[in-house]
Amino acid sequence: MVDRDPVRVGVLFSATGVTSTIGLSQLHGALLAIDEINEAGGINGRELVPVQYDPQSNPQRYAQLAEQLIVQDKVNVIFGCYMSSSRKAVIPVIEKWNRLLFYPTLYEGFEYSANVIYTGAAPNQNSVQLAEFMTANFGARVYLIGSDYIYPYESNRIMGELVMQRQGSEKLAERYVALDATEKDFAEIMVDVRNKRPDFIFSTVVGDSTAALYRAYADAGFDPKVLPIGSLTTSEAEISQMEKGLATGHYTSAPYFQSIDSAANQRCLQSLRRRMGESCVPNLCWEASYFQMHIFANAMRQSHSDEIADLLPEVLGSEFDAPQGRVRIDPTNHHTCLYPRIGRVNAESQFTIVRQARRSVFPDPYLVTHSLGDWAARLDTLES
Amino acid sequence: MVDRVEPQRVVRATPQQLKELRTLTVAVIHPDDSDGRQLTQQLQRIGCKVQAFWPPVQSIGKEMDVVFLAVRPEIINLNMDWAQADDAPTVIAVVNYENPTIVELVLGLEAKAVLPSPVRSFGLLSTLVLARESHKVNRALARRLKKVEAKLLGVRHIADAKAVLMKTHQVSETEAYDVIRDQAMAKRTTTEEVARAIVEAHELLSLSLPSRHSRAE
Repeated sequence: MVDRDPVRVGVLFSATGVTSTIGLSQLHGALLAIDEINEAGGINGRELVPVQYDPQSNPQRYAQLAEQLIVQDKVNVIFGCYMSSSRKAVIPVIEKWNRLLFYPTLYEGFEYSANVIYTGAAPNQNSVQLAEFMTANFGARVYLIGSDYIYPYESNRIMGELVMQRQGSEKLAERYVALDATEKDFAEIMVDVRNKRPDFIFSTVVGDSTAALYRAYADAGFDPKVLPIGSLTTSEAEISQMEKGLATGHYTSAPYFQSIDSAANQRCLQSLRRRMGESCVPNLCWEASYFQMHIFANAMRQSHSDEIADLLPEVLGSEFDAPQGRVRIDPTNHHTCLYPRIGRVNAESQFTIVRQARRSVFPDPYLVTHSLGDWAARLDTLES
Repeated sequence: MVDRVEPQRVVRATPQQLKELRTLTVAVIHPDDSDGRQLTQQLQRIGCKVQAFWPPVQSIGKEMDVVFLAVRPEIINLNMDWAQADDAPTVIAVVNYENPTIVELVLGLEAKAVLPSPVRSFGLLSTLVLARESHKVNRALARRLKKVEAKLLGVRHIADAKAVLMKTHQVSETEAYDVIRDQAMAKRTTTEEVARAIVEAHELLSLSLPSRHSRAE
């Protein structure tokens, strides 16, 4: 007898709290893919049904809800988490019950769990490219500003080390602000920026406080043409929380920007607008959340089961034509081959892509010492 | 005026042990089971060069920086002398028993860390780095101790030699030392060497005196 029962999967993205803007977009990415999968006949005729909760940007809630999804809702696969603290809270639960987590967020690397698939960028897929670009175009005297948690600490270590490979480089400061920092917190830092006169600012500020950073920068009267902010986390979603033009001229390194001019991306964006209107702001984490759901569905069409032992062999090594390009889940480290890009924010609050990888870059989450000039990190120039 | 203020060291430098991870050659002496595979795969993710051996080998190539060794009852009678050599690799024991027999084996191997079975990927990197660092510190301390001991012996030789010269040549302590130093300069050697030669010569000469009761070697 053919199984016609729906396939229930857990979806854990924060719709409230400090990282809710990006969390909501990840939720939309997952739901869009689920819609598309069901429209195409589901998974071998079985409807894909999300069981979703709001962990409110709180790591303990993430852990509780992950347990609830597994024990009460009986799901075998969970899609979710944004900040590393949320992932670290969920992993012990996932490993205890031997379930599978798909994690669609860039992070600081140095992790491998047999129960996790990582679809965001590792540092060798975004930090190296950003350091290369910023130091080549603006100079190597850097000022580091980040939110006060593990991802910025490790990202700053990597960035500091990369920048130090340039002549005349200097790490002028490493400053951390609370996750709920306001413009006042950044205003004080901008005074220091003015005194130290860096060539660029490296921001690993995440969530709602990102807008406050760019606001404080603009209020201080700096010019992005000579002293831009380079970031890995300022995406279209964070920019949508700012007044128009506030981020214009600043740079972000990411595998995906809404402005990618490919048939796959255009198709995906149209599909999003048709279903959800303009409420969702597509960005790198939205895209990862979108394509990982399709990767799961394709794998389950082969395995006919969402038990980790059956599903995982089909996920590992699988490829998908994602909006950023054809991605692949690496079987050895469970991370994803992605396409690094550098974007400059334009007047329409979109990114003009100025550099782009020709081939996908292999994920290397355990790389301690990154090198500028690494051939694998070299990008093609689209616009100068 | 030149600004001599040193650049602020606000950003942490990455420790050497972490930087060296990708240059390490690691031997995994472990059965080809799920623990063994977990271990080699995680080491490969970290970026080490890994070679797996089982059954246990009784000698270890010079190129090995680290050895992960499954400490099992069946290795008790094997010759593991390589682990005690001066240039021995850092040993990390992988254990599935914690009884005194096994712990004693681990101690005998001078292991710098223990990895419990079942092996998890999480924690391996920290264990590896810590074991390497503690091994490095140990080795540096041992080298330093050797040097200090040699220095101490030298100082004793000089004191003895000065006493010999003062007695046999009726000179002051300062003059005795000057004689030793001049000799060292002339022979292009150290004062410790000259002092040792003086003491030895004196002992040899004393032998020819009637009151002999000891033999030189």
